[in-house]
Amino acid sequence: MTILGEFEAASFLPWIERHAAKLGLVQAICVAGPDRIELDIAGPAELIDMMEMGCSLGPIDVWVEAIHRAPIECESG
Amino acid sequence: MTRNTMIDGWYPVSLASQLDAHGRRTALMGEPIAVRRGEDGNAKVTGGNGRDLPTCIRYGHVWSSLGDPQKPLFAIPEADQPGRRLVDVGVVRVRCSPLRAVENFLDIAHFPFVHTDILGAEPHTEVQNYKVEIREDEDEVWATQVKFYQPQAAKSAEGGITTEYMYRVPAPTCSILYKTCPPRPGEWDVITLFVQPLAEDLCDVWPWMALFDDETPMTDLIHFQQTIFVQDRSILENQIPGLLPLDPGMEIPTRADLTSVAYRRWLKRHGYTYGAQLVAQ
Amino acid sequence: MPAQSPAGPVALWRSRSGRAAAFADRCPHRGMRLSHGFVRGETLACIYHGWSYAKAGNCLRIPAHPALAPPDTIRVATLRVEDGGGIIWISVGEPAAGPPRFEGLAPLRSMVLEAGIVALEAAAGTKAAEGLLDYTHDDRAVWLLLAPEGQARTLMHVLVDEDSNPDERIAASRAAEALRGAAEDIARGGIAR
Ligand code: FES
Ligand SMILES: [Fe+2]
Repeated sequence: MTILGEFEAASFLPWIERHAAKLGLVQAICVAGPDRIELDIAGPAELIDMMEMGCSLGPIDVWVEAIHRAPIECESG
Repeated sequence: MTRNTMIDGWYPVSLASQLDAHGRRTALMGEPIAVRRGEDGNAKVTGGNGRDLPTCIRYGHVWSSLGDPQKPLFAIPEADQPGRRLVDVGVVRVRCSPLRAVENFLDIAHFPFVHTDILGAEPHTEVQNYKVEIREDEDEVWATQVKFYQPQAAKSAEGGITTEYMYRVPAPTCSILYKTCPPRPGEWDVITLFVQPLAEDLCDVWPWMALFDDETPMTDLIHFQQTIFVQDRSILENQIPGLLPLDPGMEIPTRADLTSVAYRRWLKRHGYTYGAQLVAQ
Repeated sequence: MPAQSPAGPVALWRSRSGRAAAFADRCPHRGMRLSHGFVRGETLACIYHGWSYAKAGNCLRIPAHPALAPPDTIRVATLRVEDGGGIIWISVGEPAAGPPRFEGLAPLRSMVLEAGIVALEAAAGTKAAEGLLDYTHDDRAVWLLLAPEGQARTLMHVLVDEDSNPDERIAASRAAEALRGAAEDIARGGIAR
């Protein structure tokens, strides 16, 4: 999942981790920049939808422009 | 303090049909206002300090603003279509954020539980995927291809059918619902929710309809909608927190909540935060 | 039914098989009060979108997405419940011991007073010990089990000797009502002053 927008990654990353934990999703953040965050998540489609819904709104000090999802070819560790 | 960006919007303040010389005292965003018919027959709205406020009459209601509206009131082209019956439903006072009232109107997943055997019924609870977009030209939120099974979708509907909907949010406290219309395939019934923000946690809801239905008595149409809104009120007055959260950190939105999420994103983008909670707690 | 606790509002419910449970009164989906929900079998369902929860607080079903088996992590906060001697107790945190047992007493009724414990003690002319107020009225003993709801409101459970006959029970109930009136007068006077 790739999240594009404008954010202080510092405030957003813990938020993402908390939301994923609430959904019982195991995620790994691979890229964390001020305008791009990439994470690997595995789980049922409805739960990944829920992750996308939550993140697209996010905390008040971030603006998420778009979220793209692509299947991961090889499991990253 | 940042400026309330919703101050320049148009808000419903009265039914046009109930306008009289005596007038109605009400409020807009915490400011007491008075609405009456002036000597020239036009609506006159005055603010707390006696100043004249901008006014227009449209869609059965008197509209006003505490600020300086940059745009005319949004268009509802169907309202002028011949053959439609225009229904003033009246007012329902709800002790909730005006934004929560709109969000609830955009929600279909609650039909089987809150409007049981009218707008929904178990086991037909699944929400199929639908489309949501921000139409940039009009700057409006639209949800389309929303489909839901309904035991009795409208006064004119006999028995259960899968109804299709479109939702439109042209202003932070207004929403328009387009719904398939059993007697006229190809046309949409129009049901609107115009919300008057009295305070951040109190609103008057003015539903209004433009329907293709010549049969059902007017009182039945009004009664049907009022029943629905009274059911919604029992929800709206019992959600925690009272303000609409713009941070879903204490919530778990799902794909069925896509319209709600898009609406909140749109509010956040524009800084439309009167009635919103900014930080989850 | 809604209840209060020092940790905030609580949704208290009893399952079909008779087990009591206490949840934080806020649905994790979109914040509806769970005390407005409905019990179905061994679950409590939220009235807004019908998400249902087991007694342990985990979400079992999301009706809008029926194919999904919700993960264990989607849950509502729970409080410990003890159900004994006709009284339901909830605890915030993990108490070392169970709730007190009142041997020989039977619960009669509960009532809410718009008065704090201090006003109630003043009206009764006696002090409560560990939440139990031993009140003698017309030579008859009535026990009042007190649960404060903030400073100015108290939930009072009336207990009587379990051998009391119906007339004695009615008298105890009347005595408690009179005490409530007196305590509320004192509380109002306190505010007026
Ligand atoms: S708020 Fe409880 S199910 Fe949606
Ligand atoms: Fe509704």
